[in-house]
Amino acid sequence: MSADVELSDVSVTFGSFYAAKNVNVKVNGGEFFSFLGPSGCGKTTLLRAISGFQEPSEGKVLIDNKDMSGIGPNKRPTALIFQNLALFPLMSVSENIAFSLEVRGVSKEERKKRADELLELIALEGQGDKKVHQLSGGQKQRVAIARALAVEPKVLLLDEPLSALDLKLRQRMRTELREIQKRVNITFIYITHDQGEALTMSDRIAVMNEGELEQIGKCDEVYNNPLTPFVATFVGENNPLYGKVTGIEGDKAKIETADGQYLATMNESKKLNIGDESIAFVRPESLFIPRDGDNFDNKIDVNIESFEFEGNLKNFYASLKSGAKIKFSVPNAIDTSSITSGSSIVLGFESSKSVILPKASLAID
Amino acid sequence: MGIYIFIFFAYLFGPLIIMSITAFNSAEFPSITPWECFSFRWFNEGKIAYDGQHLAGLLSDWRLHDGIISSLIIGAGVVTLSVPIGMAAAIVLTQVRSQLRDIYYSISIMPVLFPGVIIGISTVVLWDRIAGLGGEGFIADIGRNGIFLTILAQTCFISTYCFLIFVARLQRFDQTQEEAALDLGASQTQVFFKILVPYLSPAIASAAVIAFLFSFENYNTTVFSILSDQTLTTVIASKVRLGISPALSALALTIIALTIIAAVTYEVLRRRAEKRYAESQEKFVKEKAADNRINEKYKAGFRIPKGITAILLIVVFATYGATQIVKNDLYGQSCIDAADKEKKSKFLEQLQTLESNELTDEELSGGSLGGNQDYGDIFGDPSLFQDFGGFD
Repeated sequence: MSADVELSDVSVTFGSFYAAKNVNVKVNGGEFFSFLGPSGCGKTTLLRAISGFQEPSEGKVLIDNKDMSGIGPNKRPTALIFQNLALFPLMSVSENIAFSLEVRGVSKEERKKRADELLELIALEGQGDKKVHQLSGGQKQRVAIARALAVEPKVLLLDEPLSALDLKLRQRMRTELREIQKRVNITFIYITHDQGEALTMSDRIAVMNEGELEQIGKCDEVYNNPLTPFVATFVGENNPLYGKVTGIEGDKAKIETADGQYLATMNESKKLNIGDESIAFVRPESLFIPRDGDNFDNKIDVNIESFEFEGNLKNFYASLKSGAKIKFSVPNAIDTSSITSGSSIVLGFESSKSVILPKASLAID
Repeated sequence: MGIYIFIFFAYLFGPLIIMSITAFNSAEFPSITPWECFSFRWFNEGKIAYDGQHLAGLLSDWRLHDGIISSLIIGAGVVTLSVPIGMAAAIVLTQVRSQLRDIYYSISIMPVLFPGVIIGISTVVLWDRIAGLGGEGFIADIGRNGIFLTILAQTCFISTYCFLIFVARLQRFDQTQEEAALDLGASQTQVFFKILVPYLSPAIASAAVIAFLFSFENYNTTVFSILSDQTLTTVIASKVRLGISPALSALALTIIALTIIAAVTYEVLRRRAEKRYAESQEKFVKEKAADNRINEKYKAGFRIPKGITAILLIVVFATYGATQIVKNDLYGQSCIDAADKEKKSKFLEQLQTLESNELTDEELSGGSLGGNQDYGDIFGDPSLFQDFGGFD
């Protein structure tokens, strides 16, 4: 069973501070939905508003089209997985998992049965009698999920549950979470500041900044067609090229910068006019070193300053004539040994791979 | 360093050890020298002096028994009141906002700073007024009931100690656990009993023990609030006022022994639990360890316990004392009988000396002995009270 979750004009204030401001979002039943944003952007506040620990100052939270105002966290069909997991240290693994059944007065045999089922789901069969401190980080994670699933909530809320794990385990848990979600088929609402996590697991993501929603959309949509300079620079990496619009050709706009003119694609909902202050964005992986026969819409002269080896990629840091910095990445499979610090080269990029947006602050500012 | 520690412990425990030893001396006055006989009489029936006066031992002293019983009742009452009050106050502290917090905390710990005497007196004064309001009846009865008033008066400040214990434990409580339980469908009551109380149970136990001990040994509040009843401490205090008896040494030794036994038992249980925990942890690590370098068991050699010097010292002294007692036949009924007989004869002897020294009217009026002058010197005569065993 899954349920829709709808936030309608939700604002949460602490004094005069808006932790969340006029948030409107509809999460569909059975969806894996992520709120992505830097720390302090209000995403945890939204999660607490959905789970019932925080009443919205304005607006409504609807779960399954029912208004949740005045309904406490213990009466909502949601389960929350805390950042620190909040497992009960004095109880065994099984007792932890069956806690929600115990407080509902389910009989002992029934509880045992359900706990065993869930232990199987999380691949921890036969470990129910262990104490929580005897589990490894990843196992604790899975126990927390099983505990949350024990009463079959309609919505599972996850508050950065993977942030305490090391990289390998985090990657494995991403896949596992996704698989568990498919198996139990309930709505997952996931909170993270890690765009990698959000992009790999989610059906849709909402990017938040300073309490406001910047963009909601499918992962590739958000990545390829950011709506704001914040989204462009927060989700993945992006090189900003500042300038003024000098011409419009269909859905493309020409931008005049200190280093030359470039052609970039406009977002449908963010039309520009000639003379507007704007920023064109091009991602490090969309900048190419032209080979014979390549014909890019845009060319850009750069001076290599340094580079680093990342494994699958080699990252180059270069400067333009005006002093602006630019980063580009080349797959390791391509031989770039001739390019070293100090070399001057020409890079090319396609206008379809570059986005132009009205000027606003970036995530990295 | 070693000497310093020895002196420190001698200072701490010396009086207790001396007092404990005097409990086994059959003499009427607690002393080590002169040693009369080794006996358990002060733990048992005490002594019927030859003039018929009963010098009560531990088992036969009904006032002491009544005192212990009311102390136990008061202790139980104080525990049942102080622990919940302290816990509730500490939980409230976690809920109040930061500005109020400091004020609330200061008010909460204030009873500890009040002199116990004032708490005792004020309780009596208040309840005397309350009892006076109701005329005859229940209120009047409890308002003038020493045990009830003492429980209330002691709870006043003992609950504060409990409060501090709970505050210390609650500071380390992860409040997301409460939220997690709520989120999983528990009611506030269930959160309290299933999450908070189990977490606080060690604090509940130590608060109960401390509350009981504080109550049991309290004197300065109790002496006022107990009214016409007696607790152990007030009985002891009144006894000391009349002159100390080895029965009190026996009582002290019993209390010390009980304390040591309780402490040792607790320590043994704690270590056992710790060992069990360490074993489970070790097993867990072993299960997880890929290679078995960790699995090689660490073998501990025989280690000399740290307290060995102190134990040896005690054994040596005890053996020496015991051999002296046995060698000089200073134990058992025969020794006691002999001592009593000797004392009695000495008493008679001295009485005779006094009688023979009795002055005639002529002498009193300034005869050959020099009259009144010598009277002032009676206590200066070293031979007069030399062998006097005391007025028993």
